[in-house]
Amino acid sequence: MKNQLSALMDGELDIESSEHLITSAKSGGGLKSCWAHYHLIGDAMRGDMYLSQNFSSRVMTALEAEPTVMVRNNTMPSNASVTHILNKKPSYKTTKFWSVAASVAAVMFVGVMVTQQQLNKPEQLVPVETAQLSPVETLAPVEIAQSVPTEYLQAHQSAAPSGAAYYIQTASYTEPQK
Amino acid sequence: MFRVILVVASYIVCAASYAGDDPWFVLQKTAYAARELNYQGIFTYQNGKQARSIQITHVNNDGQEMTRNVVLDNGVEAGQPREVYSQGSDIVIFRPQNQKMVIEKRRGQNLFPAMLPTELQAIKASYTAHLGALEYVAGREAQIIDLVPNDAFRYSYKIWADTEYGLLLKMAMLDNKNQTLEQIAFSQLSTLNSQDTNWFQPKIDVSKSYTMEDNTVVNHVNNSQVNSNWIVTGLPTGYVKIDHLELNIPGKTAPVDQMIFSDGIASVSLFIEPLTKGMHPKMGHMLIGSTNICANVIDGYQITVVGEVPEATVMQIAKAVSFKKQTVSNK
Repeated sequence: MKNQLSALMDGELDIESSEHLITSAKSGGGLKSCWAHYHLIGDAMRGDMYLSQNFSSRVMTALEAEPTVMVRNNTMPSNASVTHILNKKPSYKTTKFWSVAASVAAVMFVGVMVTQQQLNKPEQLVPVETAQLSPVETLAPVEIAQSVPTEYLQAHQSAAPSGAAYYIQTASYTEPQK
Repeated sequence: MFRVILVVASYIVCAASYAGDDPWFVLQKTAYAARELNYQGIFTYQNGKQARSIQITHVNNDGQEMTRNVVLDNGVEAGQPREVYSQGSDIVIFRPQNQKMVIEKRRGQNLFPAMLPTELQAIKASYTAHLGALEYVAGREAQIIDLVPNDAFRYSYKIWADTEYGLLLKMAMLDNKNQTLEQIAFSQLSTLNSQDTNWFQPKIDVSKSYTMEDNTVVNHVNNSQVNSNWIVTGLPTGYVKIDHLELNIPGKTAPVDQMIFSDGIASVSLFIEPLTKGMHPKMGHMLIGSTNICANVIDGYQITVVGEVPEATVMQIAKAVSFKKQTVSNK
């Protein structure tokens, strides 16, 4: 179903046969979050910086508005036949954003079958890097610095003009040598 | 006609001998080659005991640089590899974390092999460049350039530049005992003839949920907005402020100031944070990999200095901050 959703986002699937997808995405669950993830990735790659906490609901609002947008013109009755809708090429078809979704289909074709059962596993809440680096708050009062907030090290790497260490930031800062 | 040919020929001879004799010319070519050429390869980054192989694809599409870096050897628990995409100065990172894929956004860094800035003036002021021997790296002939610091406030660098294309093939950072602290080098490299950019898309793992990183909010501080509460004086020679950020780190009540100083190749971050109730003031020095860290406390503020520079540099910068007495007494 997810690869169908991806195909729909790429404009490769006709609206006529996609009603069940939209209904399913609206009703929540895995398909809804999948839809949100694709948009999040697309936004990130496109350079949009306005991502908000209520991202998912914003996407769903946009999704609900979608059939209206696709109707050829305002004079068309609301129960316009799907044939008319199909004739209109989606306006987003040519934008770069959707090329991200295009790559999804092939990956998912294999990926869904292999990893479907993992989708409902509960998330582990402790991030690896903070768990391994002692947070400052838990240390006894010390005079000699034995750790430094992870945020500082990451902020330094992010801002340094030459970022060689970036690729192994997590690993390199979890094994103090001295 | 003959005269024109002669002029052109002599120009080429001059340029060739110039390029051969002047290490700065080679470095300049290296800085541009990394940004202008289309190439694909695998490079290895080593820092202390850590090593990672990264696959890089770089295309310059009519002046727009597009790069994909895929970290090839992660821990098994990470699953999908970390991927770093950059377009112009925008960097997007896809980082696996448990069952999630965290998306991070960054701006404007010189990622390998574009480690050298195109403007070398600052580096020239603090380092002396020497032409070294020829060596092969990743099957390609390379000219070695030694960048030797003029003082003890920076490490030295060794650069291997492709003799044909100028591309930076290898770079090492060495301490004053000539021991390698950090090294990054191509093990495989080929040029790309196509400007196709279909590879510029993240591999999506449907088993993971994608989230934006739990943001540390970063604000750039303009010179006009600079907090006059404190000043930095007596920086080691050659280091100049290149950026000033205000970080709002989750869990911290007050924003943290971050100033970044660079001598053109090495960089240091200075963090200034007011000590609040419950915080443990820290002092001292530590070394993690090739990163030196120095903590200091001045007038009720925690000062932390972080950089891939010698201990003397972080120590001096950690003492270089001073606060205006009247403001402190008002707190």
